[in-house]
Amino acid sequence: MSARDAVVQLHDLDLLIEELRTARPAGRQRSAVPDAVRLPAVQRARTQLIRQLERRWFSAYERARQRYGRGVTAVRDRVCQGCFITLPTAAAPAGDTLMVCESCGRILYWI
Amino acid sequence: MSTTIGPALHTSLLILELGLRKRESALLEMARRAHLRGAVREPELLHSLLVLSERIGGAVVGKGVAVADARSLTVVEPHVVVARSRRGIDWDAPDGEAVRLVLLVLSPPEIPPATHQQSIARATVLVRSARTRQKLLEAGDADEVESLLRELSP
Repeated sequence: MSARDAVVQLHDLDLLIEELRTARPAGRQRSAVPDAVRLPAVQRARTQLIRQLERRWFSAYERARQRYGRGVTAVRDRVCQGCFITLPTAAAPAGDTLMVCESCGRILYWI
Repeated sequence: MSTTIGPALHTSLLILELGLRKRESALLEMARRAHLRGAVREPELLHSLLVLSERIGGAVVGKGVAVADARSLTVVEPHVVVARSRRGIDWDAPDGEAVRLVLLVLSPPEIPPATHQQSIARATVLVRSARTRQKLLEAGDADEVESLLRELSP
């Protein structure tokens, strides 16, 4: 798995963790498996994923997540959707290469 | 952005006959369909998340229906993908029934968790009635399924 795919998956797992942590009354649990049981399983998957990720990318991800709540942000028309700065023309996605917004530090996901 | 099931539906997001027996393959086919419609960027990445979510009991399953969901960076806009399977998909349902109707609720990360949960709840309520399920399974074409879902949407 490329670093880029791993970061996207990490981001999505964090969204799922956030969802499972949103308290819901027991009667309104949507799946047959309670959220309290699902949460540790997702956290285990997260740990395994982090092991596959280079330390520098995980650090960049965590730094941005701690600061803004999300470690990855989309880039639309060369604009970082996290801080809305226009990225330099040289900053173009090249295959599976990861990039960090020089302004806000979030990892960029080009769409 | 609307959270009702209605506006997120489109005939191109309806798979009238999913000729697959395994849930992983069914989910991949649904993710690919959403990609063709432009609702999803990277179907394989979305599929990995769906598979993980299923392994830990993510979907609401029962009475031949499964409501799966994902909130992901790969999703462009809220959408519901609907698929039918006459042969049935093996989903490890608690009631042992094969799944003949699948609703996949997709939301981008910007959608708050509570709103996403609300969309799942709406989809689940929609297919709770045996009569509705029967109507959806017997509908002749995609337009009929779509209009039924729109008509029934809260």
